[in-house]
Amino acid sequence: MLNYTIRRLNLLFFTLLVLSVVSFSLAFLFPGDSLTNLSGVKSPTPIQLASLQESYKVDSNYFWQYIAYLRLLLDGDWGISFTSQQPLLDDLSTTLPATVELSTYAFTLAILIGVPCGIIAGLKHHKIFDFSILSASLLGYSVPVFWLALILIQLFSLQLSLLPLSGRISLYFDVPIQSGFIIYDIFQAENIDKTAALRDVFFHLILPTLSIAIMTGTIIIRIVRRSVLNVLEQDYIKAAYGRGQTNAQVFWKHGLRNSLLPVLPLIVTQFTTLLTNAMIVEVIFSWPGIGNWLIQAIYQRDYPAIRGGMLMVSSLVIMFTISLDILIRVIDPTKGRKIRVAV
Amino acid sequence: MNQRALFLLSFILLSSCSDIKHNELSKKGVIYCSEGDPATFNPQLDTSGTTADATSHQLYSRLIEFDPNTSKIAPGLASSWLVSRDGLTYTFQLRRNVAFHSTSYFTPTRSFNADDVIFSINRWRLDNHPYNKVSGGNYPYFVSLGLNEVVEDVSRINGYRVEIKLTRPDSSFLANLATDFSVILSEEYATQLLAQGTPSLIDTKPVGTGPYKFVDYRKDSFIRYQKHENYWQLGDIPEQLIYDITTTDSLRLAKLISGECDATSYISNSEIGAIEQRPNLVLNERPGLNIGFWAFNTQKEPFNDAKVRRALALAIDKNTLIEAIYLGSADRAHGLLPETSWAFEALQNDTNFNPALARQLLDEAGIPPGFSMDIWAMPVQRAYNPNATKMAEIIQSYLQDIQIDANIVTREWSTFREELKNGEHDSVLIGWSADNGDPDNFYRPLLSCQAIKSGTNRARWCSRRYDDLIQEALLISDIELRKTYYHLANAVLAEEMPLVPIAHAYRYQAHSDRLHGLKINPFGGIRFGDVEKR
Amino acid sequence: MSRSSLYEEEFFPSPLRQTWMEFKRSHWAFAGLWILIFFVFVIIVGPFLAPYQPLEQSPDNLLLPPAWSDSGDIRYIFGTDSAGRDILSRVIYGSRLTFGISFLVVILSVSVGVIIGAYAGISKGLRSSIVNHLLDSVMAIPTLLIAIIIVGILGTGLINSIWAIALAMLPQVIHTCRDFVRQESEKAYVTAAKLDGAGSIHIFVKSIFPNMVEIIVVQSTFALSTAILDISALGFLSLAAQAPSPELGAMLSDGLDIVYISPWSIALPGLTILLAIISVNLVGDGLRTALRRRLQH
Repeated sequence: MLNYTIRRLNLLFFTLLVLSVVSFSLAFLFPGDSLTNLSGVKSPTPIQLASLQESYKVDSNYFWQYIAYLRLLLDGDWGISFTSQQPLLDDLSTTLPATVELSTYAFTLAILIGVPCGIIAGLKHHKIFDFSILSASLLGYSVPVFWLALILIQLFSLQLSLLPLSGRISLYFDVPIQSGFIIYDIFQAENIDKTAALRDVFFHLILPTLSIAIMTGTIIIRIVRRSVLNVLEQDYIKAAYGRGQTNAQVFWKHGLRNSLLPVLPLIVTQFTTLLTNAMIVEVIFSWPGIGNWLIQAIYQRDYPAIRGGMLMVSSLVIMFTISLDILIRVIDPTKGRKIRVAV
Repeated sequence: MNQRALFLLSFILLSSCSDIKHNELSKKGVIYCSEGDPATFNPQLDTSGTTADATSHQLYSRLIEFDPNTSKIAPGLASSWLVSRDGLTYTFQLRRNVAFHSTSYFTPTRSFNADDVIFSINRWRLDNHPYNKVSGGNYPYFVSLGLNEVVEDVSRINGYRVEIKLTRPDSSFLANLATDFSVILSEEYATQLLAQGTPSLIDTKPVGTGPYKFVDYRKDSFIRYQKHENYWQLGDIPEQLIYDITTTDSLRLAKLISGECDATSYISNSEIGAIEQRPNLVLNERPGLNIGFWAFNTQKEPFNDAKVRRALALAIDKNTLIEAIYLGSADRAHGLLPETSWAFEALQNDTNFNPALARQLLDEAGIPPGFSMDIWAMPVQRAYNPNATKMAEIIQSYLQDIQIDANIVTREWSTFREELKNGEHDSVLIGWSADNGDPDNFYRPLLSCQAIKSGTNRARWCSRRYDDLIQEALLISDIELRKTYYHLANAVLAEEMPLVPIAHAYRYQAHSDRLHGLKINPFGGIRFGDVEKR
Repeated sequence: MSRSSLYEEEFFPSPLRQTWMEFKRSHWAFAGLWILIFFVFVIIVGPFLAPYQPLEQSPDNLLLPPAWSDSGDIRYIFGTDSAGRDILSRVIYGSRLTFGISFLVVILSVSVGVIIGAYAGISKGLRSSIVNHLLDSVMAIPTLLIAIIIVGILGTGLINSIWAIALAMLPQVIHTCRDFVRQESEKAYVTAAKLDGAGSIHIFVKSIFPNMVEIIVVQSTFALSTAILDISALGFLSLAAQAPSPELGAMLSDGLDIVYISPWSIALPGLTILLAIISVNLVGDGLRTALRRRLQH
């Protein structure tokens, strides 16, 4: 176990190192001056230039430049953005929580929809209910999220004028950004009607959350249903029937745990897909998250921001999956890496 | 199951929707969806409509105001004024007990007085003024009209009386004082900032006497204003005014429809139908004080020849352009001035569609068939020209009929303006929105010799005769007499045809029916000073 | 008369044939296959079907609603967009573009992936192990995210996005192939070949690869649905195909500006994408189920 953990951490370290090398070399591959691309300072004064040259060690060879870059990264100096002229880490620390927040709610919703529906569908295998859930889920995981978001907007915001279509909270509420997590920030804010603000946040969350939760939810349905079906074919279930237990008894006593536990990691892996969908949907709902920010940076050819955003997002996803790998081992040491391949 | 969840959710929403739409909070605030970031919070420094919309009538007051209903000048911070017989001396009586904003960064100790007027004017007028060079030191409106040379002196007679001396009579002077740009800043705040060594804060953390005071601004995101409790013109205005900066055109309309904005402007013609369908939205329409035109670079061969310019003007059918580009929501332009101006003259220098005559004139001028020229089309959408590229394409096909090959040139907006200013174009499709109701505001910036340098004379055309006429017109205060000078100037333009006037576009603004008192300000920036929300 | 009854004939269909028979048993999958065939048909003969050119503008017929609506025009069955372009023709050309590119991307990615995956499966040693592990961790990142990042690096544009998506799907393919080759290498028939003295390339080509075809096909169908989603998502974000192009995602983002006036401008392109992905998924699901059933027998 310890051995496995160390191997995984090794891999994590190595991958992050590679990502940092890639992000460093991007500064040279992008058009323009590499120092400008690294620091984000577009027209530095001579004094600034000298200090930048000093901190990025432009006079040394590539290796030492890379070491200097790595040191700056670890110190939290990621350079500044071309467009906002703000330190990248500041931008990232306000946009990232917004995305994480949205994705977490959506993921929770997806599990709340997916797991029960999957279980029911599995238990009522080949019945009308199973059939309708299956076709709904086929629709759900084939629909492009951005189109679904547009349809939801069209219906709930434009036709019915029920729900807001942009941002996280109405501008009536002056909520200063502290953590970036809006609900926490509301509790920290002064002079606002907190109940009204929370309700407003809730209304803003509905559409974006729904549009990304539906796809992941349907994938979870399929995973859970498959697993329930597998479990029901096992001998111990048949044995339980043999002892005269009813369907419900059999399932709740033996089936549930055994069908959910093995697919738990598989379900959690869906989070990264959901995160990507969240990043796209952010653009549609003007959600101030990292997806919106990164795509704006791509439009604006904001090289430091592309570099920083890419490094941040990919590092986080990698860290997430590798910690998940370790977790899988903790939960169920018999499972190998293969778990990820199946769906 | 998903559908069921959706259905359930929408049911919950339906039952609580009345709450979100009419809660107490939204009654206390107005959200305006604006189209971009203001360049500064001091409209003296910038002539763009976005800056004026965001700041001028919300944060500041002027000595004199335009009444948006009657289009006449009305008292502002000056309760009355006197003009001397020779038209050289203006004396203003100032209002008492006008309070400046009290904000987190400045607490005024005195109310508005003569010092503030002197400071505000001297800042753009005097090169050696300590604030002249702050924040870039460009005062485009005042400089393009030569106002810094027109004003000879501004002096204090007593605390509430100011005298302004001019070098020459200028009958448009009062109108200029009423524009979006002639705002009154706080001299006390400026002095305090100078002592702190941070003078540029005056333009980023503004203090004025307008109905709203500055609270917060985040680039690309919002501007937050709060009601100024001691505003000198009392009105029942909402507690908050928020600018939701939304650069995507369609998103502004979407937010208006979904109720996230109370008002928006810069509505494109194709969106009008969608607004009219909604019973809870109000669409305001008004003939705008603007002109869209096609200007020739008169400093380039062969466009220095009036005959060529006339021929090109005859080659296009303006009515088709108005139908196709403005979708009919514009008046055909006969000259520089729209019909609403008092100096308007019907058929001043209009041209009719006559390609045969056009070809004939070109032959006379020695332009062979197959001649090739550039049409520059501005890349942005403006009221006076909602789609310059498409207009260029139509003109291109008209020119093909008279055997002229036209290339359409377009650049990124700031580069475009820069290269235009350098005179790199053959011809350009662009336009002008007036800042005040005075005809001088069309004639001078568009075609005077001085305006070549300041960059608003796109034809780069300079005529002594024309300049003299519009100069003379300013010296006269009698409106009827002034009119004849402008008509003479029209005659010069008809002869020379430095630009082809195309259309005066209508202006649109839409808002929710819960707002009352929001009108289109024909002379510039939007005004929230007397807007109520119910 | 009939020779079939002469002997107690034992009929052994080939594995491929077995899979196909299993596949046919699922009506859903079969329906999906028909839709897919229809799409392929449209891709091939699209230009003959489309009544107009995709970029052909008709200034007199702006924003027409579909023909069955009161103000519709029968010449434009699904209406026109803000520039007077026929939506049906654009969708036909768009399907061509979107699916054509997706097929291209899948072929590119699968052929490169199989080669690398096979190599990784056969060869052993430290170098391949490090690369393998790296690939594993990259595989955890969704393809669309990798594609967005690569487009960010290469710059926006259709060609760049093709590379980006192909590259982004590569780890998935490599992983599947490598694991398959490793599994098979331990089986008896491979060992037998080894004992016969066959070289590793020979073993792969003659012994393993024929068994791999099915898994490659299954993998490809999933890659195809991912590719369609990704290319249209990038188009929608204006990172791949740009505005006047009839690519379906780009059409959707084009329609975004007029969605309040003409909701149908986003309906048809979106439905087309949806239908295409459903059909590919149905076929993929069917194939996978069929494969599983065959192996269980």
